[in-house]
Amino acid sequence: MKQFGKILKFELVGYLKNKLFVGITVFLVVAIILGMHIPKLLSEIDIDDVTEDDIKIMLVHSDNEALMISVRDCFAEAFEQYEVKVSEEGEEYIKQQITDDQADCAFILESASSYVYYVNNLSMHDTNTATADAVLTELCKLNAMIEGGLTPEEAGEVLSVTVSGTTETLGKDQIQNFFYTYIMIFALYTVILLYGQMVATNVATEKSSRAMELLITSANPTSMMFGKVLASCIAGFSQLVLIFGTAILFFNINKEDFTNPLLASLFDIPVELFVYMIIFFILGFLIYAFMFGAVGSTASKLEDINTSVMPITFSFIAALMVVVFSMTSASVDNTLMIICSYFPLTSPMAMFTRIAMSTVKWYEIAISISILVGSTACIGLLSAKIYRVGVLLYGTPPKIGTLIKTVLKKND
Amino acid sequence: MQLELNNIKKSFGEKEVLRGISFKAESGKAFGLLGRNGAGKTTTIRILMNVFPADEGKILIDGKPIDHKSIGIGYLPEERGLYPKKLIIDQLVYFAELKGMSARDAVKSIDYWLDRLGMTEYRNKRLDTLSKGNQQKIQLITALAHDPHIVILDEPFSGLDPVNAMLLKDVVKEQIAGGKIVLFSSHQMNYIEEFCDSIAIINKGEIAIGGELYDIKRNYVRDRLVISSTEAKRICAELGESCTMTEDGSILLRLPSPNEKGAMMRKLVERYDIDEMKVFEPSLGDIFVEYAGN
Repeated sequence: MKQFGKILKFELVGYLKNKLFVGITVFLVVAIILGMHIPKLLSEIDIDDVTEDDIKIMLVHSDNEALMISVRDCFAEAFEQYEVKVSEEGEEYIKQQITDDQADCAFILESASSYVYYVNNLSMHDTNTATADAVLTELCKLNAMIEGGLTPEEAGEVLSVTVSGTTETLGKDQIQNFFYTYIMIFALYTVILLYGQMVATNVATEKSSRAMELLITSANPTSMMFGKVLASCIAGFSQLVLIFGTAILFFNINKEDFTNPLLASLFDIPVELFVYMIIFFILGFLIYAFMFGAVGSTASKLEDINTSVMPITFSFIAALMVVVFSMTSASVDNTLMIICSYFPLTSPMAMFTRIAMSTVKWYEIAISISILVGSTACIGLLSAKIYRVGVLLYGTPPKIGTLIKTVLKKND
Repeated sequence: MQLELNNIKKSFGEKEVLRGISFKAESGKAFGLLGRNGAGKTTTIRILMNVFPADEGKILIDGKPIDHKSIGIGYLPEERGLYPKKLIIDQLVYFAELKGMSARDAVKSIDYWLDRLGMTEYRNKRLDTLSKGNQQKIQLITALAHDPHIVILDEPFSGLDPVNAMLLKDVVKEQIAGGKIVLFSSHQMNYIEEFCDSIAIINKGEIAIGGELYDIKRNYVRDRLVISSTEAKRICAELGESCTMTEDGSILLRLPSPNEKGAMMRKLVERYDIDEMKVFEPSLGDIFVEYAGN
């Protein structure tokens, strides 16, 4: 136990003295502080000053002159960011105008219910056709109602009827929870992978520099493995706390400037979820870091590390993919996610996501955490045994399956 | 204090690495553990240091099973290596603490050893800024700082210049004089002969020969004569295949039996002009080659 404390302290001080670790942390904290001030800075800049360069040109053409005029008026109202101009000339002229950058886009209408949209480069965020569809549908309905005998005022009243309703979410609001869950999952993924690799590299460095020769004769392998992994866990967790803490602190300082509800929702995380985040982070981190440490001990050279850790990295990426696809397809309670939320290598992300975005029974969470705790302890002890054997082996890294068999055969 | 390894056996999978290693080493004396590469020396040392257990056999201190918590062991491994990017004082304190010292005692002891080995100026430098020889001296401190009962030195002189080798010799002598059990493993036989009273030569996991170095030499078959003569060529021509000329011009004459020493000596003195004649005393190197050579 005494040795474990010494190893933990030594490894932790190693992280704190590591210029890269400190540099990245400071950089991220500063970046977050700056980022949290952006809404304030933007609110202080007069965004109403729109220059002439910002005004975009939209051309409208139709052989039916009456349609062209009414469409121009409707479009001018619907497309506020455009100056809508009527073009007397036809398709060739309009195409030329767009390719010459004289106009940004154009609609050529055959009728009120049929058009061709012209644009030079179609942006991913271009919603002009959707807006045009809505405007033209309204126009068609209006014309039909007028033709049916209604006055334009009556027709206008019919079309302007709005329905008001509210949603009472009894469970979780997936729209609101999506973004912060997404951020937390990626934070979990990045930190576990980054620090897991650091543990593996740390062990392999000791082995390749032959410091291991002294270490194994000076300290108990279990203490060494647990000391290293816990030190990296504390370092990674501290880094996360610092980064998230800074973000929350500066959000609260600049809260009034966060007018975007989506952005503000990122910081509206329930305390309960934070607690689950911490539990799953720690357990997920430990289970993967133990595996990374064990694999690192089998590599003789630093170059071997990338190949050796590949199976662990792939299993972790697979877990992330399942979670992200389930999140984006809005089905976080699908069968695969339910299985993944109990399997210890995927449960830190899968169960956390289900808790954040769905309603999970307390005993399901308890079972998942219990399996994870038990598996982490077993993998920790197995890793320490692999470490004990692995650090003495030089040359081609042994197959991990063979190593586990060797370790399990031993009674010591 | 007496360290005794009794019939130590160890296999890794199907490979039998140690097949019953036994030897005794005593306080205030150096013991030479010799053998070719892969003979089983490092495995023996690792078992002694409790890195892994023996399959069979016992390690005893004064007749009782060794208690690794109370018996300190200092080890200078053949494969040198510490943390290249860390400060020397930090890593020396770390290793001393792992050996059970308090931080304060560790710093005190390390400062003594840095001074003793002329390394004080490097105390707060990174290890990779030091020359190979100086790195080796730092590593030696990890073996000695916690004042162990048993000091294991594996090839301690390799890579050292003559001045540092002399310094290390003094340190080893101090350790022996201080009542430590010094286990010495080296292929440089001159150092073994200089320090060790007893040796064990391990060959293929077994003790090929062991005991007091003096006795081993005395018991070596005394069937060769070293002859210095102005008529060396004539002697060789007349005595035929049993004679070989050595590099220094003397003759090494192998006898059919050690019992014929006296008769042969008288015969040679009568027939030839002999300057000097003695029974061949083997060096440790000769003994090593004979017992570990195949």
